[in-house]
Amino acid sequence: MTSTDLVKESSADRAIRFERDALVFTNQLYAAALRYTKNPHDAKDLVQDTYLKAFASFHQFEPGTNLKAWLYRVLTTTFINTYRKDQRRPQISGGEIEDWQLADAASHSSNLGKSAEVEALENLPDSDIKRALHEIPEEFRIAVYLADVEGFSYKEIAEIVGVPAGTVMSRLHRGRKQLRERLTEYAKDLGYSVKTPQGSKAAKATDATKEEDS
Amino acid sequence: MSQNEALPCNQILNSFVLLLEEGREVPMLHSIEIHLSECPNCTAELAHEKKVHSLIQDVLRRTCCEVAPEELHDSIYQQIHAQMSGAFTTGVTTEFSMTEISIEIDEFGNVEHREITIEHTEEIRFLNGSQDENE
Repeated sequence: MTSTDLVKESSADRAIRFERDALVFTNQLYAAALRYTKNPHDAKDLVQDTYLKAFASFHQFEPGTNLKAWLYRVLTTTFINTYRKDQRRPQISGGEIEDWQLADAASHSSNLGKSAEVEALENLPDSDIKRALHEIPEEFRIAVYLADVEGFSYKEIAEIVGVPAGTVMSRLHRGRKQLRERLTEYAKDLGYSVKTPQGSKAAKATDATKEEDS
Repeated sequence: MSQNEALPCNQILNSFVLLLEEGREVPMLHSIEIHLSECPNCTAELAHEKKVHSLIQDVLRRTCCEVAPEELHDSIYQQIHAQMSGAFTTGVTTEFSMTEISIEIDEFGNVEHREITIEHTEEIRFLNGSQDENE
């Protein structure tokens, strides 16, 4: 063995390392792929494609850095490039916006009472939670998933999705707001009591942002 | 009350989204804090927003934890191994070869000639790299 052989990892060793370190994320990536694609068949294909792509470019992954974030980047890029290509859906604008504008799009006081809202959230069935996630626009859904389920930071999400951090924030806040609105709707359908909003100003602010979101 | 006039409840409520994020820089944080200390309604709202925020996170985490089907684990493993096969070198080694020859001549003078060859061959897969060490 020459000295370069020692420095350079052999492809077989790299394959073994990939198997050991990367395959443990299969379940996690599958759960994410289910939220991305919204169906088990495409989710399976997406995860499989993700692993093949990740394996093919594993030599580019820098050991010691965040492998999970790297795999999510491959997953998200593969999803955006492959599974969404034919849809030709117009992208929802989510450019950099001012903090106060951003705050304006924020969520507040649903028109369920506070305790009813908490109780509803604690008791809504899993199927409703998934339905609500699936109903919000894709860019928002991905941002919410990466932040609130996987716990990635803004900076990490920006790298995973390939957009500026300001865009991530905007998508995240609007996504959370829409998610909460939907969950509240389902709670009402399930019979949780509707209360007249206490803070009418907050309710107005919510209404005002409704149109631009839809 | 002058602080409350400067920052109406409406604006305080709108700043919650920033207050909910840890490590976020919040503009006019000092004024917001003063308002909160004087306004029980906004303080209650903020507590509720924090609660709902963490509750939604909990609910999402509880819900989004599907386990990949066994067949997916298997097919990923197989596909990676198929790609990995490029990383192996296959060597064929003949360990020994033996030929048994027998000639029989019967009473009528017919000659019967038999030849049996036994060969033992082994296929060895080397991991590239480890093969270098052997050499």
